[in-house]
This record gives sequence, structure tokens and C-alpha cells, in this order.
Amino acid sequence: MNELITIIWLGGLLFFTGGSIGILRFPDFYARLHPAGKLDTAGQFLALSAVALYVLQDLSLHTFLTAAKLILIVIFVYITGPTATHAIVDAGVRAVIEPWVQPERRT
Amino acid sequence: MKSAALAIVILLGGLLTYVSLDFPSWGDPAAPASRHVSPRYIEKTLTETSVPNIVTAVLADYRGYDTMFETIVIFAAAVACLILLRVFRRMQARQVMYRHTPSGITLIFAEGAVLPPESNVFERIDLDWVPQSVVIKTACRLIVPFSQIFALYVIAHGHHSPGGGFQGGVILGASVILFALSHTLRNTIARFSEKLAVGLCVLGVFIYAGTGLVCLRPGSNYLDYSALAPLLRLDPVAARSMGILIVEIGVGIAVMAVMIHLYINIASAGRHDEGV
Repeated sequence: MNELITIIWLGGLLFFTGGSIGILRFPDFYARLHPAGKLDTAGQFLALSAVALYVLQDLSLHTFLTAAKLILIVIFVYITGPTATHAIVDAGVRAVIEPWVQPERRT
Repeated sequence: MKSAALAIVILLGGLLTYVSLDFPSWGDPAAPASRHVSPRYIEKTLTETSVPNIVTAVLADYRGYDTMFETIVIFAAAVACLILLRVFRRMQARQVMYRHTPSGITLIFAEGAVLPPESNVFERIDLDWVPQSVVIKTACRLIVPFSQIFALYVIAHGHHSPGGGFQGGVILGASVILFALSHTLRNTIARFSEKLAVGLCVLGVFIYAGTGLVCLRPGSNYLDYSALAPLLRLDPVAARSMGILIVEIGVGIAVMAVMIHLYINIASAGRHDEGV
């Protein structure tokens, strides 16, 4: 059980690391929001489910409630995180930020 | 001039650093702050007020005056915002836009034109503010009730866990502000009018001060909640706990209304017609 939890947790960390590298290395505003929105959502899903599984190891009402709260956090971040990214992209479009194009294709 | 400013800053910084050497070390049990009243609060709070969260007990019971005037300061902020920003004249100087919903045509009404009556056919749209997309509207509609329930929990559970009136009131206000950001300001004012906001500011302060007044009977002081015991049919210790709850509810109402009031006034520059 502990091995499974470790693997899920490391998967979450992998997503977080990829997200951080993506935010630093992608070329422009819109592309940077892609790792910021997607990988953080996936990473927190895996990391928090690992924590929930760890808590659920000795099953009782108390630990079940803790795990349920963790799952609720996951659900709310699933709703709000991508929505926030969507709103930021909207704001960028309204502020007329031009998307990045590959230099040789620029006409 | 710059070098003089730099000299003053360095001098003051050095002075502050030098003075800070005289501070008691971190967590020192012999420090004056730890010797004066803190041990009494830590030892007696549970037996005197039956509130497990010492911070809440100190905030709303032992130092109730302080918190009451904090609430009044927040109320004063709302009043100042109302006086400074609110435009009371009916301003029809700018043009107004309506969308004819069935055909999708946007109509621009010039200054002084006769506006169409409120109906489902004509929908007023803002000049500056483009409404958010349906994704954001739906997600905010989904989040707002949950955050309000969480705010009520924070207010009601202030005795046992971190929280209380100020925090819960801010979360309640933030939920309405989130609605205003995702929809339009007119939508929000239709649900939470200015009269309601100002009334709730007053009501919150009134609940706090009124609780203190009700306590004022022979043999007990202002804001001494144990005097509420005969009214609530509780023993004096439990009455102090209940008194804290009543006061926290008042603080929560006041803070929520002030947050919303400040947001609406600042976002619309006091005109209450269209927001950011």
C-alpha cells in the first residue's frame, strides 16, 4: 500500500515539476498558462489523492471525514483552477496580447 | 537631498536595530508579555467562558471593547466611502446601450433619449465592461454557495477553531464580489441593494453594541455576557460562550456588508451603474 501511495505521490510531484519548468520555459503568455492550468490541476489531484489514501490506511469515521475533505478540495480546485486560467486567457485577449509565432513563419 | 534621505534612513534603521537588541528573546517565558495576563487567560479561559479557542475568548469577551470599536472603525470606513465616492445626482450624461435579445442588434441610446422599459426583450449592456464568458459565470455560480456555507461555518465555529466574525464576514463578502466580477454590477445590485448593504452595516454594529447594552443590568458591566444567563436560560459560563457567538454574528454581518459596499462604490466610482 505504501509503495502505491509513494508512486502516486511521485507522479503528482512529476506533474508539478513539469508545470514549473513549463511556466519558466514556454515562450509567451498563452503558452505559459497551459502548464500553469493543466499540470497544477493534475499534480494536486495525484498528490492529494495520495494523502487521502495514506490517511485512509486505518479506516475509521475520523479518517474517512479527513479523506472526504481532501477529495472535496480536489474537486473544487478542478472547478476553479481551469476556470481561473480561462479568465486569465480572456483578459489577455482583451488586452490584445499577441500570441507567439515561430520566427521563420512570421510574415 | 538623496544622500540626506539615505543618511536618515540608515540612521533610523540602525537605531531600530540597536533598540531591538533589548527585546526579550523569542518565546521567553520571563518576557513581560508572557508574565502579565497571558498565564491567566491560558489557565482560566476554559473554566470562565467554556470556549476552547483562547484567541476568540480574548478577542470577543475579555477585550470586547477593543473588538467593538474595531467593528465601528470598519463601519466608519463604509460611511467615509459613502460620503467620498457616492454620486447622488441621477447622471444620464453618458450614452446607454441595450441589446435587443431576439435579433441580437445592439441599440445605442443618445443622451436624454427615452429608455425602453425593463423586460426580457431589451437587455442593458455596459459601455466598458464586456461580460465574462459562460464558463466563468457557471463556475462562479457553482462556487459562490459553497463559499458562503464555508463562511457561515467559519463564523459559527470561531469558538473551536481559527475563525470568527471578521474572517467569515470577509469570505461572505468575497463570495458576493466574485458574483459581481463574473456577472455585471447591476445584476449584483439587483440582488444586494445599497439600502440592504448600509442597513446590514448598521445592523451588525447594532447587534454588537446592543448585546453590550442588554448585559447592562445591576451588578454587571457593559459587554459582561454572564448577565445574559437569565435571558438565555443558561448558566453564566455557557452564557459567556453564547454571548461571544452573538457578537461574532454581528461582526460577520457588518464586515460582509462593508466589503460589498466598498466594492460596489469603488468599482463603479460611486455611480452604481456599471462596474469594472
